[in-house]
Amino acid sequence: MKVAVYWGCLIPTIQYGYEMSVKAVMPQLDLEPVELNNVSCCGTPIQSVNMFAALYLAARNLAIAEETGLDNLFLPCNGCYLMLSEAIHFLSQDSELKERVNKALREENLRYEGSIKIWHTVNLLHDLVGEKRIREVAKRSLKGLKVAVHYGCHILRPSTLQPVDDSENPRKMDELVEWLGAESIAYPEKLDCCGYMLLLSHPNAALTFTGLKLKAVQDWGADALAVACPSCQMMFDMRQKSAGATTGVKINLPVLYYTQLLGLAMNISTERLGLNLNRSPIDELLRKAGLVSTVPSS
Amino acid sequence: MISLVKFENHNAYKGKSRYPYSMSIIDLTTTKKPDSALRLKILGKIGEQKPYNCFNCIRCTSGCPSMKMLELKPHEVVSLAKLGFVEELIASGVAWACATCLKCKERCPQAVAPVDLIFALRNLAVEKEAKVPESFLRSLSAILETGFIQKPQDTVTRKLEKVNREKLDLPRFREPDDKFKAAFFKVLELSQE
Repeated sequence: MKVAVYWGCLIPTIQYGYEMSVKAVMPQLDLEPVELNNVSCCGTPIQSVNMFAALYLAARNLAIAEETGLDNLFLPCNGCYLMLSEAIHFLSQDSELKERVNKALREENLRYEGSIKIWHTVNLLHDLVGEKRIREVAKRSLKGLKVAVHYGCHILRPSTLQPVDDSENPRKMDELVEWLGAESIAYPEKLDCCGYMLLLSHPNAALTFTGLKLKAVQDWGADALAVACPSCQMMFDMRQKSAGATTGVKINLPVLYYTQLLGLAMNISTERLGLNLNRSPIDELLRKAGLVSTVPSS
Repeated sequence: MISLVKFENHNAYKGKSRYPYSMSIIDLTTTKKPDSALRLKILGKIGEQKPYNCFNCIRCTSGCPSMKMLELKPHEVVSLAKLGFVEELIASGVAWACATCLKCKERCPQAVAPVDLIFALRNLAVEKEAKVPESFLRSLSAILETGFIQKPQDTVTRKLEKVNREKLDLPRFREPDDKFKAAFFKVLELSQE
């Protein structure tokens, strides 16, 4: 099945591991990604500066996706998912606003209709691909691995905007992990924020958010933290050391994208999954899961 | 605190020395009068949500992660905006302490959505050329320039090997064309009117 893919800003400019792992797992799931031309930022980073301009950017990207004639648009980033679902909601509620946005879009001969359905990694894999297919492709069981899942705020809330799962008690990502044979641990901090959106104004507070959550996950005995959002990965993986230093805790927790975990279960090489780009101690996870054949001699 | 007398006289607060307004914004509001024009402006910005429905249950603040770290109290922001202390809210900079986790919007029993009000305050702060964290404006100029918040960055593997999109066999990154930039610039001008 063909799906349009909109990558956003962070994935194609720094979070290459997400792009690589999504592209690596898609063929076996019968999904064919269709790249979009001429797209721009989704609008999230400028919501604080100019809400109308943010809505315009979101509608513009949706309009470009609609031009492909496809029914489904895949957004691997949580920020993009919320921004685009907000745009869909506001423009369907407010015809005057929709007219204003469309008037601005006419400059580039674009028109936003509101006909395309958006998906995020979590509900795309859980609802569209489904349990049967995931169990089929996951040839290598990850049994014995304890994984904590982190959904990320912007795909869960608010429940008025069709989030990917239940806002207060999400289960889909837990199930996705369980379908690979691993155990998804229940932990009280599951819905806690990563802090990324505070990074620009209060960096130390942002890193404290990150450090506290990482510490909690580590203390609950998880072998890894699985995420599905590039912003969360920027905090939990890329900034793990500074988060630990800010909170005064030693953190040593492998953090990876769910698609990377899925790829491991599908026997895809770590290079193709971009796993060598993760800064957190992934090698420990690979050893624990018995996924490296060459055990270093000690 | 003169202007908050109404709340102090409320039964729940009678005879108590402390009431839920204890943040630095209060100091800013002591000598000021509410600004009803700004109040209408800020409430007009948040469309479908209704701050007047807030009955101060403080559910938003109790679940706010920024409350723990930065003493952001969403219910207080709502109350002050309702009273018309908009300029003071902007000057205090509290709006920039929000992590936009959206728990307040999700959990409010009255559909008030403090986070929407916080975004409206940020927008108004930019409009009024108040003090705004610079990096937010930098994101905007980056989008004007390249269409995205940044160009593809070089990064390193865990073995400290320098890589980029090309080395990782990823297709070339495409920025939107110049037509986009012209159209986006027009939108920014339009929204200032």
